[in-house]
Amino acid sequence: MDDDVSNSFRRMSSRTRKVAPRMAAALASSDNRTQAAIARLEALENDYAGMEMVETNDDDEASLDDDDEGYLQKKQSKSTKRKTRQAKALENARKAPRNFLELLHEANLESLPPHVPSYLKAAVGPPSSTCRRHFCTVCGFLSNYTCVRCGMRFCSIRCQTIHDDTRCLKFVA
Amino acid sequence: MSNVIVLDNGGGFIKAGHGGERDPVTVIPNCLYRPLSSKKFLHPSPTASASTEDLTSAAVRRPIDRGYLINPDLQRDIWSHLFTSLLHITPSNYSLLLTEPPFTLPSIQRATDELVFEDFGFKSLFITDSPKLVHLYEASKRPDGLISKAQCSLVVDCGFSFTHAAPVFQNFTLNYGVKRIDLGGKALTNYLKELVSYRSVNVMDESFLMDDVKEKLCFVSLDIARDLQVARKRGKDNVLRCVYVLPDGITHTKGFVKDPDEAKRYLTMTGADSPSLETIKGIDRPELSEKLEDRRRIDLTKNEFELTNERFLVPEMIFHPADLGMNQAGLAECIVRAVNSCHPVLHPVLYESIILTGGSTLFPRFSERLEMELRPLVPDEYQVKITTQEDPILGVWRGGSLLASSPDFEAMCVTKSEYEELGSARCRKRFFH
Repeated sequence: MDDDVSNSFRRMSSRTRKVAPRMAAALASSDNRTQAAIARLEALENDYAGMEMVETNDDDEASLDDDDEGYLQKKQSKSTKRKTRQAKALENARKAPRNFLELLHEANLESLPPHVPSYLKAAVGPPSSTCRRHFCTVCGFLSNYTCVRCGMRFCSIRCQTIHDDTRCLKFVA
Repeated sequence: MSNVIVLDNGGGFIKAGHGGERDPVTVIPNCLYRPLSSKKFLHPSPTASASTEDLTSAAVRRPIDRGYLINPDLQRDIWSHLFTSLLHITPSNYSLLLTEPPFTLPSIQRATDELVFEDFGFKSLFITDSPKLVHLYEASKRPDGLISKAQCSLVVDCGFSFTHAAPVFQNFTLNYGVKRIDLGGKALTNYLKELVSYRSVNVMDESFLMDDVKEKLCFVSLDIARDLQVARKRGKDNVLRCVYVLPDGITHTKGFVKDPDEAKRYLTMTGADSPSLETIKGIDRPELSEKLEDRRRIDLTKNEFELTNERFLVPEMIFHPADLGMNQAGLAECIVRAVNSCHPVLHPVLYESIILTGGSTLFPRFSERLEMELRPLVPDEYQVKITTQEDPILGVWRGGSLLASSPDFEAMCVTKSEYEELGSARCRKRFFH
């Protein structure tokens, strides 16, 4: 069906065709869906990521200003390239605020004997009943249907069209 | 005035003040923010005062990730602002009582000790966990109550970064019984942000604004199925629908609930304690002259969005994290598991002395819902009693203040010279519970 579409609309960008096989591969394994779900939960916890992006953009802009710190650093690194870069990388590695999961990994809590309570063991664990209520990702009401392509939920045809138009595969691809 | 500084260093807010007093001197957000108009990150002003700062689309940096201190440099910055400009103290003359979440990693503990002793040079330090302080405060408030008589309670702390159910016995948190759900106020705000951004207006950058929306409009549903049906209705029958007006940057820099009585209408659904309309009217409504009919409509020239089922589906996640796709049990089950990991003799007492604390328990009807869910899970012969604190955000701090004023507090601290001699790890052994 995909081929038909691309034949009838020759003028359309070829990008859709390039992406398609990758997407198909991604969807073939259920792993990708779970990964997407994990990534989504991460985003919920981690967040402010959008703002961090804004921040980096701003820094680029800011470096246009002559009196800006970033600009000065750039200048310095131009004059004595290798040394500062190495030193900088080292310093960044030391100073960079790492996220909690990295620190957790570093602490190697798995190696503790089983009777010692730790961060990992304090998590409540899976719920006793496995039933999960599904809410429509479009309107929020209880949903009975699953998108066959990305696995997100919707409750009606109306919501399905909205889902297909806007968000389908957003969390997977 | 005592020479102990009590610092409840939460992921969302820092509560800081002098030991022995009833209320902290200041409560500030534990972050730096950068408004659109500025290039530098600024210190937010204390929340108590009506701040005039424009927080629209402000970028935020937080020293705490998932409840744990991961960026000591940033924390140093915030603390030094706190100590010099807000508390007006020189740390070297003071002792510090600091809260730390349970199961803090050794590397983070080391970083905290360095911060306290090497960067600020406090005279001495006492580290404690928050459930113990909440227990202490509640026990002292009702000296003849069960909590103080049995010397044991179950503290449910639903804060900004995560939710803990922690059994406390003889003033010590039983760390083998502590259970955690990785959901807190921050995740809820983000979830609300995600929903609103997808359904109406993009607010992904507006965390301060959405915090406000969450605090003003979200509530815990007592009957999800019924509330979902109500939320589906059109027009006036839908008592759950309400409109939030976004700041326009000219006449108002803060968002507000368009019609406060409309926002409270859900309370009428059960007929219970619905406050009289006179008291609610005109709380924070700039356009008093507006007609009622006008308020019902969504004005497209203004930036507004409507909330219906989001209002209760967001706090719902604490009770059913599985709905979000998290493989974690809900709050009621979390409590049951925390209790079950303790000695059976304690079970009846723990169920009868559940204390709710933390900012996320402020959702209306939180405790009713919790009791509703908990009751079927608890054996018949045990009573379930849930105590709420009069100010869940400050509960931990007040307990700390109480502890700091006790006569043997100084003896429990680790002094700076001890730290210099023994190092961080050795000193920490003293606080181990």
